[in-house]
Amino acid sequence: MVSDDILETWFCSEVLPNEGALTSFIRNNWRVGEDVVDLRHDIYELAITGARRGLPDNARAFLFAIARNHLINRAKRSRIVSFDLVSDLEAVRHDPDMLTAERYVLAREALKRAQEGIDQLSPRVRQIVLLRKVDGLNTQETAARLGIGIDAVERQLAMGMKALADFMLGGSGKIIRQKFARKVRKENGA
Amino acid sequence: MSRAEDARDTAAAWIIRRENGELSDEEQAAFDAWLAASDGNKAAYWRLKHSWKDADRVGALGIPAAPAAPHKALIRYGMPVALAASLVAAFWIGSIPFPTEPSAQTLAITTYRAGIGERKDLALADGSHVELNTRSVIRAASAADHREVWLDDGEAYFEVKHDPRRPFVVHAGARTITVLGTKFSVRRDGGDVSVSVLEGRVRIDENPARNGRLASATMITGGMSAISEGRSTLVTQLSESRVENALAWRDGMLSFDRTTLADAAAEFSRYHRRPVIVTDAAAAGIRIGGNFQASNVEAFARLLRDAYGLHVEMTPDAIKISS
Repeated sequence: MVSDDILETWFCSEVLPNEGALTSFIRNNWRVGEDVVDLRHDIYELAITGARRGLPDNARAFLFAIARNHLINRAKRSRIVSFDLVSDLEAVRHDPDMLTAERYVLAREALKRAQEGIDQLSPRVRQIVLLRKVDGLNTQETAARLGIGIDAVERQLAMGMKALADFMLGGSGKIIRQKFARKVRKENGA
Repeated sequence: MSRAEDARDTAAAWIIRRENGELSDEEQAAFDAWLAASDGNKAAYWRLKHSWKDADRVGALGIPAAPAAPHKALIRYGMPVALAASLVAAFWIGSIPFPTEPSAQTLAITTYRAGIGERKDLALADGSHVELNTRSVIRAASAADHREVWLDDGEAYFEVKHDPRRPFVVHAGARTITVLGTKFSVRRDGGDVSVSVLEGRVRIDENPARNGRLASATMITGGMSAISEGRSTLVTQLSESRVENALAWRDGMLSFDRTTLADAAAEFSRYHRRPVIVTDAAAAGIRIGGNFQASNVEAFARLLRDAYGLHVEMTPDAIKISS
């Protein structure tokens, strides 16, 4: 049994950097766009449960193997399975060099991504996030400063937190990811 | 609402609640229960917490939240060394065109782990030598102009190959330790970071703090030890033997000197899946000394029974010690 502390470190440093690639993989292989977030959530859950028995040597390969199996199982259950889907999924390969390069870029660009993530928030949410992150105000102080209710502050802070996570973990459309997506598509087509 | 959205919203609410202050006992229990309820909840919570913490970096950018934030100048002035260094690195990446693809060697980040009770000797790409103690995780990266290690968990001893052109930087929680070539060890216990230096000199920087406060820097040399907790750093000049004691784990030994039994038990528990628990305050306060084999917790327990007349109960889940 791997302890939760180790699992958390592993999940944040080895799994989350793949979120962009994982999200495009699901999107490319699943026809219902609105299922993507739910499917990703299931895959993360399965990955954590699996890794608790022992951390895998290669987190990316492990994650994509789980993703592939999960999509096939879900497709079977919903009886929409097609040979296309299965054969596409068979073609998935992991690419270790891509992984290190991507992670390095991610680490180096974290500051820039945080800045861009903040920039794309709506003005009100951005203001509340900055009061928290830059001025260090808690929700009560923020509510007093802006003259709005604590509920409203917490709702908008939660909104900002979720939007930032989506953006910082994969929504930024990196060149590397586009290349990866193209490569997967090319392999599938071949 | 879908399961994923539900977990995400609950995770966000808990993060906000925890940032607002200490949880009450009931809240803590509710939070623990929610987190334990499913790995999906853990995934949602860890994911949000991780990126939300990453967003702390904007605090260091000095963007004013309100048009006329009075402390903007202070934030700029206080831009810590670590941030400056990362900006330099980002600039370096951006401005020098690579003649070819950067080689995998300069980009590689390697993760090393030691499980419970394990001790590992590692040779890093730059020729430095690292020993990992029980339940420890480090990541190491080596580039042309610097060397970096992240101590994600546990304790590590470093013998850094001297190279004045490539500083060796260890990130441990809220502290960054910079060296040129020396022998030292770093240990993390949650937010606390301790650094013991055997030879040479290291600098310990507080990582970018919120509110644009000036980050503190501490310099320590051979024979010294620094313990950081929150914003404070306590530096002590130890005799050489005390530093050697702090590094005794490298030989698989635990060394105690007037250590309370509670602390000694916690120390042993780091090395075993079966924790050592001292069940009453009278026994917990007993001070003990001596050298023990970390792997042989049974011998330690027997010694407590024979030398101190303590009651020892060994179950498959724990070793319980009481007076």
